[in-house]
Amino acid sequence: MEAPAVRLSGITRRFGAVRAVDDLDLTIETGAVVALLGPNGAGKSTTISIMLGLVPPGTGTVALFGEPAADAVRAGRVAAMLQDAGFVPGATVRDVVELARALYPRPLGTDRILATAGVTDFANRRVDRLSAGETQRARFAFALAGDPRLLVLDEPTTAMDVAARQQFWTAIRAYAADGHTVLFSTHQLHEADDVADRIVVLAAGRIVADGPPARIRAMAGVGTSARLDTAFLALTTDGPDTDGPDTKTIETEH
Amino acid sequence: MRAYLRFELRRLVRDPRLMFFSIIGPVATYLIFSGWSAGERLEGLAAPVAVMIGLAGYGAVAGVLMVGSAVSQERAVGWLRQLRVTPLTSGQVVAVKTLIGSITAIPPVIAVGIVASIQHHVELSAGRWLALLLLMWTGTVPFALLGLAIGYGVSPHVAVPVNFLVFLALSVLGGLLVPAAYFPDDLRHLAHALPTYRYAELGWRSAAGQPPTATGLAVLAAWTLLFAAVAAGAYRRSTARR
Repeated sequence: MEAPAVRLSGITRRFGAVRAVDDLDLTIETGAVVALLGPNGAGKSTTISIMLGLVPPGTGTVALFGEPAADAVRAGRVAAMLQDAGFVPGATVRDVVELARALYPRPLGTDRILATAGVTDFANRRVDRLSAGETQRARFAFALAGDPRLLVLDEPTTAMDVAARQQFWTAIRAYAADGHTVLFSTHQLHEADDVADRIVVLAAGRIVADGPPARIRAMAGVGTSARLDTAFLALTTDGPDTDGPDTKTIETEH
Repeated sequence: MRAYLRFELRRLVRDPRLMFFSIIGPVATYLIFSGWSAGERLEGLAAPVAVMIGLAGYGAVAGVLMVGSAVSQERAVGWLRQLRVTPLTSGQVVAVKTLIGSITAIPPVIAVGIVASIQHHVELSAGRWLALLLLMWTGTVPFALLGLAIGYGVSPHVAVPVNFLVFLALSVLGGLLVPAAYFPDDLRHLAHALPTYRYAELGWRSAAGQPPTATGLAVLAAWTLLFAAVAAGAYRRSTARR
């Protein structure tokens, strides 16, 4: 059997007295599109950093495609758009895309990358002269360039306008349809609803809900027609008490 | 790794301001001040040659330190974090930055050399010029590491002043601007312990047709090890921060 794209087992990470991630288990099968939801400070970015080997977990183990995160990254199986990552000034969009292509073993063609990420029109502009939304698209191009099996996106659509968002999610759907695995975090719940086939809700460093969008609504006790926002608030704020919310994991439907 | 080197070279060429300052400073200084000591002998050479090498080293060290400490900016904008989620290893990133830094040593050395040969008719054989250029280039490795130590060690708004102070102290006390021969004894002893003096000494001795001194090489090696250790430590600390 093929190793899952992501397997986090018993991950805990403290920053001082705060448990940013608290005994977290998460397995993502290859080919899945998973949304990571949660209020600010829920541990989404920390979970992603640990998953990518950028931050060592305090306890627990991380495996990507059955190997340590650092090895999977080195082998070019993974690429990411991170919130606190960025480009150096003095390079053009095309420069950074070409760099990414050269770093990965089996890159996509340049024109295809530029078109998919919607950066063709400003490919020759310097990355330090882009708007925030354009920068975000350029970062998508960089992440996409190596045709990674696992694409990790931390709040990818921040600062994108409506048209750019639409193009972005269309590209993500097409990418996932090819058997790639995609994990993204977002505050735009309708994005999770529209794009993901599985939603993982984090609160206070723990998973409080996990399942397809319809199940998430059902678990939170809101009707199927209700917006996911309602379910989200019910799950992340009504959580009981001092021990932190219970983990209500449910099986993902296949 | 070659792709990253190409990428960095292209950036360097696209933003030549960095090079401009490391060239214009020593060239202007040479034009203005080299005449004062023209009849003397310094470091076993005719003064115009010795001053040429000192100022070439001054420009080279300026450029190399500037590139290294610019890493601070790259860290702040998240570029190093971006690279860490690619197949490129941190060791490769540091190696390329060190190489790129040392390459910036070459233009000021050539520029000061040209000015010296025009203004004071400094004449060396082609082999001597080439040896000089190679030594003035490879000798900058400790300074490239020092620049990286600053770049990884401190935040961007502190990196510029720290870089400037370190550069000024090392180049002035090391006798690159004013030859150490004019220093009082204590200061001259200090100069002889500094990497800047020993770096320029490589050039001075080469131009005089002499091999490097063992002491000089030992002092340079010691500083190189120290700066490498500080750079590695600063790098580890900077990546441990979230």
